[in-house]
Amino acid sequence: MRRGSVLVPEGVQEETVVPMTTDGLGAWSRTPVLSLRQVTRRYRRVEALDAVDLDVHAREVVALVGDNGAGKSTLARVVAGVEQPDAGFVEMDGAPVTISSPGAAHALGIATVFQDPALCDNLSVVANLFLGRELRVRPGGPLDEERMVREARQILDDLTTGITSVHRTVNELSNGQRQAITIARAMITRPRVVVLDEPTAALSVVQTAEVLQLVTRLREMGLGVVLISHDLADVLAVADRVEVLRHGRNNGSFDAASSSQEEIVAAITGAPGARGRAFR
Amino acid sequence: MSGSQTALKEANRAAVVEVLRRHGGLTQVELAGATGLSAATVSNIVRELSGSGLLEVRNTVRSGRRAQLVTLAHRTGIALGVHIGLRHLRVAVADTRHEVLAEQTLPLPFEHRIDTTLDRAARLLSELLDRVGGDEEEILGVGVGVPAPVDASTGVISVPGIMRGWDDVAIGHVMTKRLGRPVLVDNDANLGALAESRLGASRPFQDSVYVRASFGTGAGVMIAGRLHRGFAGTAGEIGHVQVDPTGDICLCGSRGCLNMVVGAQQLLASLRASRGPLTLQDLVTLANDGDPGCRQVVEDAGATIGTVVAGLSVALNPQCVVVGGELADTGEVLVGPVREAIRRRVLPNHIAPLEVVRGELGQRAEVMGAVMLVLESADVPTTVLDVPALASASE
Repeated sequence: MRRGSVLVPEGVQEETVVPMTTDGLGAWSRTPVLSLRQVTRRYRRVEALDAVDLDVHAREVVALVGDNGAGKSTLARVVAGVEQPDAGFVEMDGAPVTISSPGAAHALGIATVFQDPALCDNLSVVANLFLGRELRVRPGGPLDEERMVREARQILDDLTTGITSVHRTVNELSNGQRQAITIARAMITRPRVVVLDEPTAALSVVQTAEVLQLVTRLREMGLGVVLISHDLADVLAVADRVEVLRHGRNNGSFDAASSSQEEIVAAITGAPGARGRAFR
Repeated sequence: MSGSQTALKEANRAAVVEVLRRHGGLTQVELAGATGLSAATVSNIVRELSGSGLLEVRNTVRSGRRAQLVTLAHRTGIALGVHIGLRHLRVAVADTRHEVLAEQTLPLPFEHRIDTTLDRAARLLSELLDRVGGDEEEILGVGVGVPAPVDASTGVISVPGIMRGWDDVAIGHVMTKRLGRPVLVDNDANLGALAESRLGASRPFQDSVYVRASFGTGAGVMIAGRLHRGFAGTAGEIGHVQVDPTGDICLCGSRGCLNMVVGAQQLLASLRASRGPLTLQDLVTLANDGDPGCRQVVEDAGATIGTVVAGLSVALNPQCVVVGGELADTGEVLVGPVREAIRRRVLPNHIAPLEVVRGELGQRAEVMGAVMLVLESADVPTTVLDVPALASASE
């Protein structure tokens, strides 16, 4: 999996195994929907990301784990278009892209849900979902409330969030439901890749169960999911693959269905010899 | 005219019951939002169904205001069910009529830890109990199913090595300490057998076998309407019957066990080169979507499982074999080859042929069996209310 320090030429794929996609049977896509190649990001003398590689395929949950300061959130910000890499490049469907702004990320089909749910407490569920992206009857015309309600219901049902009414104000909801709303909000733009930064932090166990099922649901809908979390038990429960970051560098790639927690903890903490088993 | 109105009323009632089952307890305003029914309709249905004892209304607080919480009725007690699988934890809170008041599923990691998992099970249960407005005193007991043979008297896994890190832990004791109520531990296939024979596909039969085809394969045996566990709880452990004398060594120490041939890892490994890394759920979904490779994998697994179940059936002569577990979600893709393999080998019977059918309770079978275990051990009336709304609402 590790490509050392050599840049992999565009179009050359090392994967010998192909993940399943939703675009019809027989169409097994070898190309990751999103890949980071040798992405580097420096803050003054700190290398937050040092030549990091990351592939995300359609219908795949990739967990990104690591200690504080390992570069997880920096990577999320790069993918979200909030920060620009100093070196390396990003590809979508194998073609190089520039994520110059959050708007560009949305246009490319990348949605990022950051750690603290940025919701307006005094607004309804539907108003929050469409905040800043309100649908109108015609361009410049009045708001198309009916359609927004309909689409909000559709998205919440697709995600099986169990949120009962789209008209309730957000401050009436539980933390788990608020997290579900932020994820649903990301779905409004119909993304292909969703990055979730610590989605289960500060949730009760029932709410954690709801969010983890939501992640599984996103995968079933054919999305590529990057799941960033401290809680190994949570990420291992739903991830297909676990990528470990340590001091801004890749430190191993693990198959979630057969790797033990000890192996992954060893890679996170940098135990000698712990570099992760090759996966794929 | 009146017929369609009755049907509409029935459908509205079913909608209310179903929504309550999903959410535990809701206020009437929330019920209206969740069902899409008008406040007046909801109010009428709640009055009607609480009058007939199906729903309960109690005081609660929502958004700082007093409100009325509507739940499914559980005045005669609550049974808690837990099913610990290899990759998920499912819990259910049920009343004495085996109606599920609230349930939740938590995905679990590969080789999940006993301490974390039991802790999460206890916390899930107490949170769901709060949701349905239940008290600790109402709990009749807790049933726990695990994917390994269990010595029922001690609640300890009786064959070491099958679940890494779970050996020698008195699961019942740990859970009793947490929840303060009696805890019964059993094998998950046994619980599936119990549930299907009381509430599901093998209800009409006294002698039946339940086969659970999941990450591993197991079976539960009902003889004369009672669960047959065997001396140390290992009856029906078909996952450890040898099917390949030259096969790989199993966790149990034997060579070529059924689980080493049709276990999830083996099935998925055979698809890896052509289909990429899949989960068991992907395999089921693709088989149902008609993917020929995935169907073949499931069919072959069914034929192999069938040969082993055939041996069990010759020994036990059951009236019915029920097939459950995740792989049974492919329906006849799995059940067909199981049936064929069994019928080919079991002695033909002139009175009634051995029936091989898919389970009726789906993924809920094991957790419902855990509930049944509690209800049958507790001395309570367990009448089943014949309300069409409930029958149609259950999965």
